[in-house]
Amino acid sequence: MSLKSVIRYILVLLLLVVLAVAMFVGMDFGKEYHRRKVSDYYIARGVKDTGAINLVTAIYLNYRAYDTLGEATVLFVAVLGVMYLLSYEKTRDENS
Amino acid sequence: MRRQETKIVRNVARKLFPVLVLFAFYLIIYGHISPGGGFQGGVVLGSSLILLYLSEGPERVEKKFKNSQLAILEAIGVLTFVGIGFLGIILGKHFLGNFLPIGRVGMVPSAGLVLLLNLFIGTKVGAGISLIFYALMKFDRRAQGE
Repeated sequence: MSLKSVIRYILVLLLLVVLAVAMFVGMDFGKEYHRRKVSDYYIARGVKDTGAINLVTAIYLNYRAYDTLGEATVLFVAVLGVMYLLSYEKTRDENS
Repeated sequence: MRRQETKIVRNVARKLFPVLVLFAFYLIIYGHISPGGGFQGGVVLGSSLILLYLSEGPERVEKKFKNSQLAILEAIGVLTFVGIGFLGIILGKHFLGNFLPIGRVGMVPSAGLVLLLNLFIGTKVGAGISLIFYALMKFDRRAQGE
């Protein structure tokens, strides 16, 4: 193993250690973590805010509608990919 | 390769198809009141078409529900979703902000944008699922023909 790759491994390990320390320092394992402010707010105000009784729908189409746009786009791109990849075979056969 | 199932299967699937479509639209339209919603209803819509396809064979189903029509339906779903989002900005709210009145809680036309978005997501997901299925079946037929 050359010196360059050894140095690279050491750097990666160092980066991992730094990231792990940063993550665990930022975490709070105490009471703060169990407060659940957001879900309490949704349960208390969800129906009044959105008018949807089904709270799941209230969250994913009203509070988090932008996220749902991303989900719809993911499915759209998946369909595009499948149609493109599966029709590729045909055009190649016709050319040869 | 057999293209059609037996008469019993075909009859049952043909009778089941409208019921499944009705159930899918029930899931979509009542998405904000009872469990369900656009994605689930859309999957039921797509699987009803898949059932018809598997029992009737590809020719008859692809003549009624054309590949290009489904692709257009899918694109309309996504683009209308984005368009409704920008309509929210134009009407003075944030992106995808609710600009319709909330109405009486518990009724079907309530909850503002949720019903509208559910409808478009439902048609989009149904068209997308059946498009993927069409492509896979076409690929399978081509692979078996070779």
